[in-house]
Amino acid sequence: MRVAFVGKGGAGKSAIAGTFTRVLARSGRPVLALDSDPMPGLAFSLGLPLSDAAIPDDAVEERAEGEEGPRFRLRAGMSAAEAVERYAQEGPDGVRFLQFGKLRGHQSSLMRSQFAFRQIVKDLPEDRWDVVGDLPGGPRQAAFGWAPYARTYLLVVEPMTKSLLTGRRIARVAARMDPPPVVVAVANRVRKPGDVERVGEATGLQVVGAVPWDEELAEAERRMLAPIDHAPGSPAVHAIESLVNELVGERC
Amino acid sequence: MKVAVVGKGGSGKTTTSAIVARTLGRHGLAVVALDCDTNPNLGISLGIGEVETDRLVSMRENLDEGEEQHAPGWNDLIARFGTDGPDGVRLAVVTRIENPEPG
Repeated sequence: MRVAFVGKGGAGKSAIAGTFTRVLARSGRPVLALDSDPMPGLAFSLGLPLSDAAIPDDAVEERAEGEEGPRFRLRAGMSAAEAVERYAQEGPDGVRFLQFGKLRGHQSSLMRSQFAFRQIVKDLPEDRWDVVGDLPGGPRQAAFGWAPYARTYLLVVEPMTKSLLTGRRIARVAARMDPPPVVVAVANRVRKPGDVERVGEATGLQVVGAVPWDEELAEAERRMLAPIDHAPGSPAVHAIESLVNELVGERC
Repeated sequence: MKVAVVGKGGSGKTTTSAIVARTLGRHGLAVVALDCDTNPNLGISLGIGEVETDRLVSMRENLDEGEEQHAPGWNDLIARFGTDGPDGVRLAVVTRIENPEPG
């Protein structure tokens, strides 16, 4: 499975992605979680201690004059798979977690680690891990191909005007990609009858999951705990388990 | 007064901006609301509606295609890439989705 979670800022991408990853890992599959957001998020929802650790600058080398490709590439002799083994943190349930680092006021630049990250996610071996990506809010990273590993975009949408509009924008951007990923919707914070239908109608997408509004998820966030650790029996976590079951076996 | 509203995704920046802008407008001030988000939704919260909001967004995207000329100054930018909203607030979209910075 190779999926990327996209959607409006605050739609619940990280909370769902982190829980989704843990559920997948508990089924015994090796899972790699990819965080391309320069702000913190996914680590919390996975149950990892918050870390700003970036892929180190020496992971990449500058290309020689005249060499084709981006300005930096992984250093000679290191494959994408080796880079994952070296730089991905280990998390609960055996999850591996890779990020390019977080933006901090005093930090000069994440440029080199971002080049490393982008090459790693582009060159991942096909079958070693299930891959779950978490993108920052909005259509921008999708437009710039930050999730080339994803066969399927899971668009997290709240049944609210701005969230739906953002969803349509992201779906439009994805349709222009080469090759275009499959885009399906996950309705989040569903509270009222008709909310799920509204997501389907307003995005024109198949709705593959519906996660209910759940105060336990907000409480998990207040306590800085992963939803699956704080409230394993909650309705939202159950809904995400159903989503994983729905998608395992499909070629996502 | 010149203020910028910042914060995490989904924390309420756009809604706050829109209410501040409309409240200032109701006090009789001349207000320009600038949508600097690469996912521009301020028009929705101002009450300008989806169609007009997306029209402004696609004007900015047309800059890429060369179908639209860049504005030479702030007043021209607000005139050409803006629209009049409720309470006399003028909204201008000054960003594009296709901006290569991450995040």
